[in-house]
Amino acid sequence: MERRNFLNLTLGALAIAAVPASVRAEDYRRTKPATWSAKTVDDAIKAMYGTSELVMEGVTLKTPDVASNGGAVPVDFSTDLDVESLLLLQDANPEAAVMAITTNKYSINKYSVKIKMGKSGTITIVAKGKDGKLYAAKKTLDVALGGCEG
Amino acid sequence: MKIKAKLKNGVIKVKAMAKHGMTTFNMMEKKTGNRDDANFIVHINGEINGIQVVDFSTSQFLSKNPIFKFELKADGFKKGDKLIMTWVDRKGKTGKGKAKIK
Repeated sequence: MERRNFLNLTLGALAIAAVPASVRAEDYRRTKPATWSAKTVDDAIKAMYGTSELVMEGVTLKTPDVASNGGAVPVDFSTDLDVESLLLLQDANPEAAVMAITTNKYSINKYSVKIKMGKSGTITIVAKGKDGKLYAAKKTLDVALGGCEG
Repeated sequence: MKIKAKLKNGVIKVKAMAKHGMTTFNMMEKKTGNRDDANFIVHINGEINGIQVVDFSTSQFLSKNPIFKFELKADGFKKGDKLIMTWVDRKGKTGKGKAKIK
């Protein structure tokens, strides 16, 4: 084998060995593509978890009652339950899913993010417990100025 | 990516901001006529000392220049350790940021 080829092969193998951390983690965009194209909150939850039966407890969700700017609506959510993943959804944009979080042993599961909402609507947080149940919280809010046409 | 990480009472409080337009399909259809021009962060990864601590899958409906605030158990991590976060967008571009835990 020529030296050059050998080097290329080795580098290739190294590159493959080095990428992994991000690839090995569960990337829901790849493993659950239907979740992200679902038009309704219900369909998105089903695509992600196989069912949309929710237990409305154990999850705290805070947003303003009226958001002045739909381009950046603050959403705070948390849970003390032992959960394996969380899903943030809304029904004011063309598709429902906003964010999915895979937890790990360091997670405290207290998050704060800003999302876009094209119009007034309802935000839903679903947290999948390690007991297999889907815990959830919903909050409806008014958006004064729609964000970037969804 | 700009990151701040502060350790107090066994809890690491993290504030991270990714500089990204986060354009949606509808936005780009209006702007360029091509829905496929939409570009947004699809995944964010974070690690401390090579251990994965953050795993977010995201969509076009996070705000522009999205901000993430969250908390981690310090469990073995200490001040001075580095939190490294990486995002990848729909077009495959990546961005990286790191912060020393204070």
